[in-house]
Amino acid sequence: MAGGTIWKGYIHFGDTDVPVKLHTAVREERIQFHLLHARDHVRLRQQMICAYEKKPVPAEEQSKGFEVEEGKYIIVDPEELEQTAPESSRMIEIHEFVKTAQIDPIFVDRVYYLEPDIANIQGKGYNALFKAMKEMDVEGICTWTMRKRSYVGALQASGKVLRLNTLRYADEVVPVASLDLQNVPLSEKELTIGSELIDKLTAPFEPQKFENEHEKKLQQMIEQKARGEKIAVLAPRRLKPTESDNLLQALEASLKKAA
Amino acid sequence: MAVQGIWSGTISFSLVAIPVRLVTAVKPGHVSFHLLHNKDYSRLSRRMFCPEEEIMVTPDEIIRGYEIVPDKYVLMTDEELESVSPERSRTIEILEFIDMKEVDPLYFDHPYYLVPSKGGEKAYQLLVEVMRRTNKAGLAKFVLAEREYLVAVTSKEGALELITLHYSDEILPDEDISPKKETIEAEEENRMKKSIEQMIEDFDPGKYADGRRKKLMDLLATKVKEKTLVEAPPIGEEEGEGPADLVAALEESMRKVKEGR
Repeated sequence: MAGGTIWKGYIHFGDTDVPVKLHTAVREERIQFHLLHARDHVRLRQQMICAYEKKPVPAEEQSKGFEVEEGKYIIVDPEELEQTAPESSRMIEIHEFVKTAQIDPIFVDRVYYLEPDIANIQGKGYNALFKAMKEMDVEGICTWTMRKRSYVGALQASGKVLRLNTLRYADEVVPVASLDLQNVPLSEKELTIGSELIDKLTAPFEPQKFENEHEKKLQQMIEQKARGEKIAVLAPRRLKPTESDNLLQALEASLKKAA
Repeated sequence: MAVQGIWSGTISFSLVAIPVRLVTAVKPGHVSFHLLHNKDYSRLSRRMFCPEEEIMVTPDEIIRGYEIVPDKYVLMTDEELESVSPERSRTIEILEFIDMKEVDPLYFDHPYYLVPSKGGEKAYQLLVEVMRRTNKAGLAKFVLAEREYLVAVTSKEGALELITLHYSDEILPDEDISPKKETIEAEEENRMKKSIEQMIEDFDPGKYADGRRKKLMDLLATKVKEKTLVEAPPIGEEEGEGPADLVAALEESMRKVKEGR
């Protein structure tokens, strides 16, 4: 089942308004550990410690400061922060439509499912919008305000419902150029064999094939330890890197193996 | 700029192994504030505190515990945790290659880049180039910070990008909220299509900016002009000579924030 409703609003563009409800689309369940004090196994708590007095500081004695230069701050009050919050609104405003598959996955942040809000009197048009977008193969780039934050996102017609992807702002993505990668010459032979190898190893994407094996093994280890059994500690496996001079050889051997 | 890694190990496909580091590909653009003690304006730091002994606890005195019944824990050392999947904690093993177009964006979790470590530059570039030529992405599994991830490794502008994916059982079904079948009024659909047609453009991510961030920066600029600055007490170290022009200093800080530092 989709997650509960987290927000209500309406999609707007041109003369169209479609009221919707947002649902979470992903649920992660993980094994949770607590941090304990090693010598007495007391559960530790996080505390904010004053660097000067070296003691815990209660919430009412904490302020937010923006560092202008080392050790010098502008204090910003909660009321001032409140003023910078975007005006609250229920409108998911579409600014433009783009052909699908234009958005680099690096921009995709979170995904929500949209349910038609049929309780709303204008709760129509959802199906027409879904069909129109699907047939035209487009997604809508939109902005909205939710929980005092402004979002940019992509409205998509996929699966059985409309979806809203929140996108990262462009200046939040680290440019590849900043990685300072070197250019190393490669031979055409290396590239041809490498490409051939990839084609041989290609399969359809079937995510249900993969499960979180680690989580299961971790659960087992916890149970073993709870029963007081001894655990064999294994060192992580480290692969020996392929030497540049042996790259062609390794590719040829791989191709032979894949054949 | 030397890029710091969050993880280092090897990425492998078939018999080729490439030493790499994992680095972040996104930096939240939030204006970063520091928490200060409002009595002395000294910086606060997050520390683990033992409520029983009322003391701060250093990292070497901390152990992880899994709570089996209230207040009873199974203890796990770092070595034990790393030994859960020893073959995956230092290796990103590409299991197969896929067409990224087949991956529903619903699966995308978090993006990173991989950068080559010393000696891996050539094999790294080979993988970048052959994935670009074949238009394929590597599907791999590896363990980062106690958690196993399914990841897609793609070729992007000469670099390897790594996107962690959700597992299929983490994706919630959408059937229960899908709309009831209703007859779609052709008139309405056509009106929408016309409207959409007029609004089609190319995707330009740079067009949108966080309005709140701008407002915050304006607020800070106003406050710095009013010279409402506070100063933290020196802690042991000598004080450096700061720039005299505070507005220039703020602009410099803003520039850093904008560049994602």
